Amino acid sequence: MADIEKEVRSLVSKIIKIPEDKIDPAANLFYDLGVDSLLGVEILAALDKKYGLNVPEDKLRSISTLNGIIALTKGLLEGKRK
Amino acid sequence: MMEEISLTSDYWRKLLRLDEEDKEDPLKKFNYPHRFFRPLFYSIFGVAARFYFKIRSHGTENLPAAPPYIIAPNHASSLDYPAVAWAMGEGRRKDFYVLATKHFYDIPFTRFFMKVAANVERIDTVDDFFPALRAAVRILKRGKSLYINPEGTRSTTGKLLPFRPGVGILSVELNVPVVPVYIKGTHELLPPGSIFPKPGVADVYFGKPVYMDDYRPKLKQENAYYVYKEVTDEVRLRIDELARLQ
Repeated sequence: MADIEKEVRSLVSKIIKIPEDKIDPAANLFYDLGVDSLLGVEILAALDKKYGLNVPEDKLRSISTLNGIIALTKGLLEGKRK
Repeated sequence: MMEEISLTSDYWRKLLRLDEEDKEDPLKKFNYPHRFFRPLFYSIFGVAARFYFKIRSHGTENLPAAPPYIIAPNHASSLDYPAVAWAMGEGRRKDFYVLATKHFYDIPFTRFFMKVAANVERIDTVDDFFPALRAAVRILKRGKSLYINPEGTRSTTGKLLPFRPGVGILSVELNVPVVPVYIKGTHELLPPGSIFPKPGVADVYFGKPVYMDDYRPKLKQENAYYVYKEVTDEVRLRIDELARLQ
């Protein structure tokens, strides 16, 4: 799961074009880092593609921090394994 | 890494329900009785546009020969839609649709005139962006043309606001050209807060369409969002150019 955290952090960093070390995992991506809300959709799209997660649409607005995205990814991956 | 960033457009297509079949005709809802008053509305508007607040049309030869296409103008006045629809001419107007935010649509007086003037659908962009995009998809998939203000709202100063990427998403995913349009002068004729237009002159400039042939292949090389944004930025640039040339 530590690898997942690293991978998601790297993925998010590449999509929002902000270096990994500049992303506070608890910071609000949209308000604190100025990320376009539709770029949030792109992050979920990339996760969907990378892990085959089938990220539900109702998660689009609930994810606002890197920590939240990591938790969502872990949760969906666990759900997939069951 | 290439695999990580490619083909995210699949997810966007899923969110837009782009590959789903409509259960019923999505255009049926536009057959409201108000449309019978439309020719009369544009006749009166045409008289006013010639003799009272003069509206001049430029570049209609740039409009694609047939729909579907997206008309993307700047937005600074309630006069913008009827000015563009009138400038396009009656033949194009019948296949022309527009989405209106609930903020305006839910006012009975405004709604009445919107329905007389246009094939209009109510959207709620405040609470959720995707139902609005899906409504647009249903219209464009039926081969109709759509009026979208990329700014998302009316500028209170007449200056161009930041563009939202909806125009880019729709045009890239549906492979539909976007016609950039610069509207000059409607803000002075009917500024926000006014009900009756003042005398004066407004111009509607139709620019050359932005076709998707150069953009769609990029979906295989970069994140879909950035392709959508590139198209949206290009439309904005072309509207800026139209404004600068006048």
